[in-house]
Amino acid sequence: MMGEWILFGVVAILLILALLCFTAAVIGAYRFGFVLNRMHAAGIGDSLGLLCVTAAVVAATGFCMDSLKLILLIVFMWFTSPASSHFLSQVEYFTNEHLYRYTDRKTEEE
Amino acid sequence: MKEWIRKWLNGDLDLLENVTDAAEVPDSTREELKEQKKEFRQRLYEKTNTDAAIQAERKSFYAIYRGIAVISCVVLIGVLLFTVANMPRYGVENPRTVEVVKRYVEKGLQETGAVNIVAGMILDYRAFDTLGESHVLFTALVCVMILLRLDKKTIRGGHLDDYYLVKQDTYFDVSKDSIIRLVGTVLVPCIILFGFYVLLNGQNGPGGGFSGGAIMGAALIMFSTAFGFDTVDRVFTRKMLMITSFVSLAFYSFAKGYVFFTGANGLENHIPKGTPGAILSGGLILPLDIAVGLVVACTMFGFYSLFKRGSIGGD
Repeated sequence: MMGEWILFGVVAILLILALLCFTAAVIGAYRFGFVLNRMHAAGIGDSLGLLCVTAAVVAATGFCMDSLKLILLIVFMWFTSPASSHFLSQVEYFTNEHLYRYTDRKTEEE
Repeated sequence: MKEWIRKWLNGDLDLLENVTDAAEVPDSTREELKEQKKEFRQRLYEKTNTDAAIQAERKSFYAIYRGIAVISCVVLIGVLLFTVANMPRYGVENPRTVEVVKRYVEKGLQETGAVNIVAGMILDYRAFDTLGESHVLFTALVCVMILLRLDKKTIRGGHLDDYYLVKQDTYFDVSKDSIIRLVGTVLVPCIILFGFYVLLNGQNGPGGGFSGGAIMGAALIMFSTAFGFDTVDRVFTRKMLMITSFVSLAFYSFAKGYVFFTGANGLENHIPKGTPGAILSGGLILPLDIAVGLVVACTMFGFYSLFKRGSIGGD
């Protein structure tokens, strides 16, 4: 009985943490002005939020085939999402002419 | 004998003197091409507006054109309204829908040997529909190839306005990046394996030819992005794409045509059904799934390749 309640508490804490992450991601993605800032905000939900949700579901189901698949899902998401973010930001870096306004670079020349 | 023939026979005259090789004509810039196009359009416009014969022809053409358009619209509307009027009333049970659905759901497993009734439906009862769909994909690929393929003659002759745009694409080539190479090394085998799984399990679970082929095509696209088109060209040439598509579609047509002629819709035929649930089950469903999947994968990668660089397999 006690163990079930502890499990429930862990799942609830993980889900609430994930909800906080996703709230931050949504607010940041809509409120920030610059593309790279918005990508950073969305990345919080994509990495930590996803991890928390999946860990909560794994904890709730216990170890079986489904939870193994969910762990594989985390691996693949953490593998592909940074790569795609990297290329998106690279495109922004190469094509934005006014990048010096948002970064530490003082002039266009540097 | 004419003068120039005698001269040519004596070797005094070179007939190809004034004919320049297409390769020696320098590419004109985009501004020049735009200027020429504008001039040509202007001249054409002036000529068509002044010529009386052209005016008269245009008038009669538009009269006929409008007449045919109105008639075909009216006929189409009539046919559609007639069809709608003959449709069964909503909510009323009619034998055409009830009996067919009942038969598919109740006897689908027994008659087709597929646990996944949807696969049994689209590849056994209604295989003609799927045949048409895969041919549509093939036709679309052929049309895109006709429109977008850049052969060497087009590029060399300078007929291409956007040749510079095409060349610019190579500046943003990401295949030299080490990050995408690592991602490709890890991900492509997994994606291809998953594609095979979905393809081969079409008769037992969700999946089948279209989804499995799409996953395999995505894996090919990922591979070509990560390692460059040159790596893919060694295996996946245009000839191979055409042979694969043709063999798959021909196999589908002949196999399903044979089944339709010898005994369709659950009649007895001598193709073994196998045990339901095994990989080799469902009679012809698995081979047909593989054929459809190959066509879909070829079409997806062909589209990507043609849109990205205007050719498949580098020629």
